[in-house]
Amino acid sequence: MKYKTPYPELLSTAIIWAIAASVTGALLWLLSDVFWHGMSQVNWEFLTQSPSNAGREGGIAPIIVSTALIVGVCLVVSIPLGVGTAVLIAEFAANKSILGRLVRLSLDVLAGVPSIVFGLFGNAFFCKTLGMGFSILSGGLTLACMVLPILIRSTQEGFRAVPDDYRRSAAALGVSRIATLWELLLPAAMPGVAVGLLLGLGRAIAETAALIFTSGYVDRMPESLWDSGRSLSVHIYDLAMNVSGGEANAYASALVLVSFLVLINSAISWLAQRFRQSKILVV
Amino acid sequence: MKSRIFTPLFIGFAASLVQSCSKPPEAATKSADQLQGKLVLTGSSTVAPLAAEIAKLYEAEHSGVRIDVQSGGSSRGIADARQGVADVGMVSRSLKDNEKDLQTFTIAKDGISIIVNNANPIKRLTDKQIVDIYTDKINNWKQVGGIDAPITVVNKAEGRSTLELFAEHFKIDTKNIKADVVIGDNEQGIKTVGGNPNAVGYVSIGSGEYAATHQTPIKLLPVEGIAASITNVTNGTFPISRPLNLVTKTTPTGLQKDFIDFARSQQVQDIVKEQYFVPAAQ
Repeated sequence: MKYKTPYPELLSTAIIWAIAASVTGALLWLLSDVFWHGMSQVNWEFLTQSPSNAGREGGIAPIIVSTALIVGVCLVVSIPLGVGTAVLIAEFAANKSILGRLVRLSLDVLAGVPSIVFGLFGNAFFCKTLGMGFSILSGGLTLACMVLPILIRSTQEGFRAVPDDYRRSAAALGVSRIATLWELLLPAAMPGVAVGLLLGLGRAIAETAALIFTSGYVDRMPESLWDSGRSLSVHIYDLAMNVSGGEANAYASALVLVSFLVLINSAISWLAQRFRQSKILVV
Repeated sequence: MKSRIFTPLFIGFAASLVQSCSKPPEAATKSADQLQGKLVLTGSSTVAPLAAEIAKLYEAEHSGVRIDVQSGGSSRGIADARQGVADVGMVSRSLKDNEKDLQTFTIAKDGISIIVNNANPIKRLTDKQIVDIYTDKINNWKQVGGIDAPITVVNKAEGRSTLELFAEHFKIDTKNIKADVVIGDNEQGIKTVGGNPNAVGYVSIGSGEYAATHQTPIKLLPVEGIAASITNVTNGTFPISRPLNLVTKTTPTGLQKDFIDFARSQQVQDIVKEQYFVPAAQ
């Protein structure tokens, strides 16, 4: 006798599949749209030339370099600060202490602040008060402020996921707290750090509002961190919204941006895995 | 082994700190050493692409000069020029009475046209009809001789100079405008109207004419019987036009003056046309 799947079960299976398919479908649609419109424009010249005629012609080489520098400044500042703060509130501050609660609360509030507010803050503080002007440095630091809460919160979750047995065993063996942290806890918490980095970087690299007021609009090849530089997302925004006939290159730039995101995501996952395995812990 | 990943990061961080400390920000030099240094322009997002192209040509001719063009809106151009944050502000409208403390230099002109979707049978709208549509006294195309369909009113966001010029020409108080869609930039307006057969909006003639001749399904309606075209802005007959201005706090000197003169010269006329604007009559 053949087993017959009951009707309601079939239905619920179908619904769940349909939901999953529509989510994947939305992503695929977006990607294929960008790919379809952008592919014909992207070639070696596009990646290595400077934009001309307000971005309608030419390439995006200076914009790629600016984007890389802005994101680089952001990471160099936010990783040590972010992981450091996460270590403090996860490992050293008691869970119920006023300090820990205060830091966590302010981080959650910060994480919800719209990026345009960070942009205005960055413009007022880094560009004007600190006198950095429109520069890659201002942009990178503004992004760092924006990324920090995300990075800290998910790193902290990473530490919380490490079983207390690890800490007790290390203490029982007489391992110092610093060594425990560096050799044991940090590698074990690495997935959390990686997730934080992915989310943060994704937000940073796709940011427009915070950057237009800080790193600016100049599409020249930057010579130092003090130069203003246009990021990819600002370039896409300007071409799509401000320049008649800029649409083709906007799509091409979007394709480059999406490709970078995919590459970076894979690289971070790989690096995190390597770091974890290079330590004593192989799970 | 320990620090395979983090050491390089820290070194990079330290190196960037050293580099950034040893190199103070270059302020704009307006000293006697002319045609050297950096000039900062901020303001109207309509003028920014044009100014950036002019700046590129200028830099090509003066190797010691760097001109940074930043975007952000006309109001920002005025504020930055006043506070001295920028050497030159960009403003895409005539200055108001309380802004007359600034020096103005027109580098190009631009007109504003009313656009509707190609599928819309409407050929023209009177000024009165446009006012009534934007103040919600008319809300169906049937009332102005079109098909029986509700009108989608597309308006610019507050603070945009296109909105100010539009409101000034039609004598509408911006507070009375009842918009269905509020947009920021010209291209957004074109896309909105191009995608909605019942929408009406207004955009810069340059962008509008470009879009209409490049497969976007929109058409430009005449104003007071005069066709909306770049030609009619050039000869001054088109009623709604605006100047694209550079503004400075004081009488320009040195590099500032040289660049402004350059931006108003015959040399940049081709660039102005390439950006779908109208060269200012010399």
